[in-house]
Amino acid sequence: MAEKAIALPTDQTIIELSDVSVKYRVPQEQIGTFKEYFIRLLEGKVKHRSFNALNKVSLSVHRGEVFGLIGHNGAGKSTLLKLVAKVIRPTGGRVVVKGRVAPLLEVGAGFHPELTGRENIFLNGTMLGFSHEEMLEKFPRIVEFSELGDFIDAPLRTYSSGMSARLGFAVATDTQPDILIVDEVLSIGDEAFQHKSYERILSIKAQGATILLVSHSMSMIESICQRAAWLHRGQILCLDNAKVVVDQYLGRVSEEENRQLIAAAHLDEFPAQKEYKPIEIRQVRLLNDQDHDQQVFHTGESVQVQIEYVAHEPIDSLEVGIAVHRQDGVHITGPNTTFDGLDIPIQPGAGGVAYTVPSIPLMEGLYQLSVALVNRDGNRMLDYHDHYYTFRINNRGHEVRERYGLMTLKGEWRLL
Amino acid sequence: MKSQTGLSVVYDSTRRGSVVLEELREIFNYRYLILQLVRRDILTRYKRSFLGVAWTMLNPLGMMLVWTIAFSQFFKAGDLPSYPAYVLNGLLAWTFFSQTTTASMVNLVWGGGLLNRIYIPRTSFAVAAMGTGLVNIGLSMFPLIGVMLVTGLKVHWSILFAPISVLILAGFALGLGLLISTLAVYFPDIAEMYQIMLMAWMFLTPVMYPVTILPEAYRFYLTMLNPMYHMVTLFRIPIYFGRLPTPSELLIPLGISLFFLTLGWLVFTKKSDEFSYRI
Repeated sequence: MAEKAIALPTDQTIIELSDVSVKYRVPQEQIGTFKEYFIRLLEGKVKHRSFNALNKVSLSVHRGEVFGLIGHNGAGKSTLLKLVAKVIRPTGGRVVVKGRVAPLLEVGAGFHPELTGRENIFLNGTMLGFSHEEMLEKFPRIVEFSELGDFIDAPLRTYSSGMSARLGFAVATDTQPDILIVDEVLSIGDEAFQHKSYERILSIKAQGATILLVSHSMSMIESICQRAAWLHRGQILCLDNAKVVVDQYLGRVSEEENRQLIAAAHLDEFPAQKEYKPIEIRQVRLLNDQDHDQQVFHTGESVQVQIEYVAHEPIDSLEVGIAVHRQDGVHITGPNTTFDGLDIPIQPGAGGVAYTVPSIPLMEGLYQLSVALVNRDGNRMLDYHDHYYTFRINNRGHEVRERYGLMTLKGEWRLL
Repeated sequence: MKSQTGLSVVYDSTRRGSVVLEELREIFNYRYLILQLVRRDILTRYKRSFLGVAWTMLNPLGMMLVWTIAFSQFFKAGDLPSYPAYVLNGLLAWTFFSQTTTASMVNLVWGGGLLNRIYIPRTSFAVAAMGTGLVNIGLSMFPLIGVMLVTGLKVHWSILFAPISVLILAGFALGLGLLISTLAVYFPDIAEMYQIMLMAWMFLTPVMYPVTILPEAYRFYLTMLNPMYHMVTLFRIPIYFGRLPTPSELLIPLGISLFFLTLGWLVFTKKSDEFSYRI
């Protein structure tokens, strides 16, 4: 572990895990009654399958550090957070935590729908270990931060999910903790509140708290964490500077994803056709500059979309169009053959067109491709594969100067 | 947890001394949570009803009426000065016991997802269930005294001893509640079975009939071996019978109570680390 090279706020260790294992014993079949249990116990048939959620993990987090945890679902990230939050105890090894922990594992855990917001603030606050007097003092600040206004005396069941999430976040973060545990909660509420909660986390960080963060957003891990650990099947695969860990992780992910996306693309090639169509899309392929199938590209790479179709009757003026959407629904572009003045006379039989982008300007993300065949005169949709094809832009290991946003404008900077 | 400054709180998973004592200390640290949980239980139970918390008192009164009308003839109630007061007195002890044990189990098994999400002392639910029961039985003293006065039974000074009876009963209920909660985590069916057992247990205990109607051949076993007989009697003595308990009437239930409380606390705390893997 190349820890020396990284500048850490202090050397004081605040969270230390040594050889920590968490082993769940899951009974192989559900034994619901006593009688059954005793019979099986006598027969020696109570079988347990053990499952290592964490396997001899060692890790130390320093005071004032923002430490990220990444990995697939089920890799053990949440288990690790729960160990630090005292929710579960390790079955092996040792966990030492110094200081008051504010768990943002599940904001608003323990809220009761029949109680009012006010009553829930006190209930939730005492669950976090505060006294009644402390809660009285915190109460006005919590109400203000959660922006609930007059709703504070209405039962929680009348709240929207965003409102209760805001309330939970406000209670959990009102007091400066020594350690803040954040598990993907920054996606609560509307955009304005997300911004506000992010600001609060930054201010908790600025006041010297140690933050343990689990996120699937690599850009967030990279931008606010100093160090990170990549967990895989209960073990640490990589523990280093956040950027190094994220790079390694994404490298692996894009390899896997390329394989999966290609496999999925082939599965989807021939969707079940029920109704008669005068012309059908038979295959859509994404190719790189060597004409090989590829689903993961990097910004600036050449991308060719090959569309093959089969016509069952002559069609006068065919228009082939595609649409590119980002995963969150932003429509990026919709080129078609008519715009480009390409005339496609169709005779019965197979044919195809290709759309080549010499240097794709899109930045990192997951994108979806739709393909449509349209009769230009009647403006009739002949065949349409809506959001059918997926590709990813991933710039790990490639020299791409820009990092943020949707696309590169390929501009250049110069001194005036 | 008081407001700690700096890094004074240190949690070390390997250094914990006695689990049994640690849990006691934690329950004390989280006493405000217990108060809030009790408050929640009482408020939410009656939140949507018109009469609200008054039901705590109306409920046993209604039950008493039903029992009195249905059974006073069968049980030769003539032997007892005020049958309604006798029934209500016993019913309060029984209701406290059955509600506390059931609630501590149900809260843990169905509300226990909470233990997977946030750290709170694991005995919180059972202790809060007992607290809720104490509030309920405290409020129910008013209708009980009312019934005694109306039916012409003298309220004796010995009634001031009743809180001690209640505490001894509470210790027993908490201990048994912890024991069956532990079992119910492993065998959820216990929750259903327990309701049936409670029903049978109540009919075997002199709650709404005088102990004299038990056949003499079995009376000794049915009373002496039944912990709830001692508990109900200890609660009736200072109120209905209007006297102080004899040493044996006090020490037997006290011993049972301490035994079950210790056993329940030991078993529950020893097993509680496994709960979050199970619930």
